[in-house]
Amino acid sequence: METATASSLHQRLTGALGAEGVRCEPEDLAVYAFDAYSEASLPSAAVLPKDAREVSAVVRIARECGEPIVARGAGTGLCGGATPVAGGIVVSFARMNRILGIDVRNRRARVQPGLINLELSNAAQPSGLFFGPDPSSQKISTIGGNVATNAGGPHALSYGSMINHVLGLEFVDDAGEVVSVSSDEPGYDLSSVLVGSEGTLGIVTAVELRLLRLPRAIRVAVASFGDVEAASEAVSAIIGAGIVPTALEIMDKTITQAVEAHYHAGFPLDAGAVLLVEIAGEPEDVTASEAAIADIARAHGSTMWRSAADARERDALWASRKGAAGAIGRIAPNYYIQDACVPRTRLPQALHRIDEICAEHKLLVGNVFHAGDGNLHPLLIFDRRERRQVEAVIAAGTDILRACIELGGTISGEHGIGFEKRDSLPKVFSSDDLATMGRVRDVFDPVRLFNPDKIFPSGAICGEVRTPENAVAAGAWL
Amino acid sequence: MAVAAPSDPEAFRLGLRAPHAVAAPASVEALSKLLRASDANGESVVFFGGGTLQGIGNAPSRYDLAISLAKLSKVIAYEHRDLTIAVQSGMRVAALDAKLSAKGQFVPLDAPHASRSTVGGVLAAGWLGPRRATYGRPRDFVIGSAIVLADGTVAHAGGMVVKNSTGYDLSRLYVGSLGTLGALVRTNFKTLPLPPARRAAIASLPERTRRRAIDHVAALGYEPVAALVVRGFGGEIAGRDGLDGRLLLFYEGSPVTIDKATRELRSALGAAGVPETTILDREAAVTFTRLVDAYVSPLGDKGATYRSFGTPSDLGPRFELVAALAAQHSLELESIEDLRTGDLIARLSAPSPDEFTQAAVVFDDALHVQLPYAQVLVAPPSLRDRLSMWGNDPPALPQMRALKQRFDPNGTLAPGRFVGGI
Repeated sequence: METATASSLHQRLTGALGAEGVRCEPEDLAVYAFDAYSEASLPSAAVLPKDAREVSAVVRIARECGEPIVARGAGTGLCGGATPVAGGIVVSFARMNRILGIDVRNRRARVQPGLINLELSNAAQPSGLFFGPDPSSQKISTIGGNVATNAGGPHALSYGSMINHVLGLEFVDDAGEVVSVSSDEPGYDLSSVLVGSEGTLGIVTAVELRLLRLPRAIRVAVASFGDVEAASEAVSAIIGAGIVPTALEIMDKTITQAVEAHYHAGFPLDAGAVLLVEIAGEPEDVTASEAAIADIARAHGSTMWRSAADARERDALWASRKGAAGAIGRIAPNYYIQDACVPRTRLPQALHRIDEICAEHKLLVGNVFHAGDGNLHPLLIFDRRERRQVEAVIAAGTDILRACIELGGTISGEHGIGFEKRDSLPKVFSSDDLATMGRVRDVFDPVRLFNPDKIFPSGAICGEVRTPENAVAAGAWL
Repeated sequence: MAVAAPSDPEAFRLGLRAPHAVAAPASVEALSKLLRASDANGESVVFFGGGTLQGIGNAPSRYDLAISLAKLSKVIAYEHRDLTIAVQSGMRVAALDAKLSAKGQFVPLDAPHASRSTVGGVLAAGWLGPRRATYGRPRDFVIGSAIVLADGTVAHAGGMVVKNSTGYDLSRLYVGSLGTLGALVRTNFKTLPLPPARRAAIASLPERTRRRAIDHVAALGYEPVAALVVRGFGGEIAGRDGLDGRLLLFYEGSPVTIDKATRELRSALGAAGVPETTILDREAAVTFTRLVDAYVSPLGDKGATYRSFGTPSDLGPRFELVAALAAQHSLELESIEDLRTGDLIARLSAPSPDEFTQAAVVFDDALHVQLPYAQVLVAPPSLRDRLSMWGNDPPALPQMRALKQRFDPNGTLAPGRFVGGI
């Protein structure tokens, strides 16, 4: 961008938001250049609006100046969804981070997009309520970012992803108008399209969410297995027996050892894989389900079953599971987290293929994943300074996605497509499927103002797989 | 034009309009071809499943061809160990239920008249039943879809995995779009394990017990999957009205939990001044079925049924408002108040068709002043063009119109049927 134009953009933004709401200096903009994906690109400006009116002003200015707009939550996204790859204006919601209201009787909450996920459950808890989606990043990721990626988390098994919890949205459209959509109103279910659209259809400025009643009993247990295949066979058998606990998570030996060294939560160090099970509901049902699940685990070779004795132990197990990627960071120079989803009975095959692929590419892999949902997160360990390893990680990542598609799965369960996977989208969807999604894009954002170059394949290389140097996720959330 | 089945167009009448022809394509390819031709020839098309929810929405403004999807009724894939199933849209809901229950599973569609209604029809109509407070909306169980657009394009969204953030989630956009964006031909569901036991509890509410009973039900520790206060619907919905109507609760879960829940309920209702609670176990399922059937039971020319969405806490005031309006317009009111979802079903009737017609049009205007989004579920055909079937226009109507324009630029699909005349 030419300096004269840049200064006019900055002036206009400052006029609308005040100096405290605008960042223009390169050193200030550096933090907005990337998210947890490694590719970085400096925006022309970053803004921190206080309300929907200011977001609206930003959209109008961006449109008039021909600058794209990229909405940003906490920047924990692993696929470059918040990376301003085409430059433009990054909209940070750091100043729109409040709970606007909790309606206990009707189990609803209205929040601003910058609210940190965990703060909602913390605020609702004294009223006996909680918010279902709990991505592992929930201590820092925002509701707006969760909406954008249709985030899930370990408890999606029972409670579903964001799409199942959004009752309505307020968003700023491409003309800068503030629009509200609600499930209480008749018409097309526009919330369902906006959730998971990764900031490509508009800028969400408020979210109406469903809250759930806290279960009266929660049991968390750990089972050890010889290897991840055996653990995932057990998961398939549990689901196949018609038992759907609230969470079924698997960690392999590499991850378990790293986690245990860091958190000391009591995971067995000698296990080839551990299965973390959470069951919630009425006390009698929880006890019966635990017995049934433990039986299935034993029948699939589990050598140890241990229940958390109290809430403290339970919280420690969860804290270490959710901090798994952070822990692996201590033993690996760099790692790359993939996100794919397969039908749950295909888990053993998927894991076998991941092992083969990583062996072919001479890469170390750790597996920590939402087994109950078939949502895989292989974590490829590498050294960024070794060019061969970087290339191997990118190639292996693509092979893993292809393998998961071949098994009837898809290329993102909860992280989204972002910039990273957009050229893999044609492996999942036909050109007619993509063109139909494009019709929706045309309606909301015909000039591609919002988060351009995300989700959809770049026209010129549609169908090809990009292999940019160093372009791998460096994040810590899964 | 290819007409696959010689059906009587009269059977596909909507409001005062009947189509010129009826077709029942036997394959997605045939449907695609048929739509492409209709779109090119300027013929307007309305899709039909079982017709059980066609009372919803405006009558079409143009209506050349009714396309029955009844022949597209196959199970495409049932991965019962994955708890997923893919079916064609013309499959009867009862057939889906039977297929799933054989493996101890279900999808909580809560569809009225399940033996006639189709999966695609129930989804297209955006049907919402009482158990959604516990299990979620039907759309929450939709994990993938295939749709045939007006120009014949077959487009897929989602997949056969239970967690998916890959591209736009258009499957859920099609749910509730009443066939105005395309014909849903395939739906992938995630399923749930069937609860081991079901129980219905029914209690007549003596005078001045309603408010206390509702408060006590809201405070129950063991939560029912559905809780409703019914007035009227005698002979259709189980139980007998007290002066304050009757309470119907449904429990699903393990026998031991249901027993504990029942003890808690009896004690709570006793404290609210409700003397007797009838328990139904073997008849629990059929009691629930008859309840949801009643939401859309036809009344001939003497009545209409409205649905108002809202929250549990504003349910009472909405009921009082509708009751006052009904009295003011000399209409008899029967109602279902859903204590968990906040839905209010209000069925209004008069002794004769003439009396009803006169009162209904004025009532409809007055109602929408107070409850802008009250929706008509069932109305006499002659009134369909005179009542505000969807209520007032929602704020996002311009976006909805633009979507319709982009998906169906020639206005081929169910023109005028949807919100705001879309």
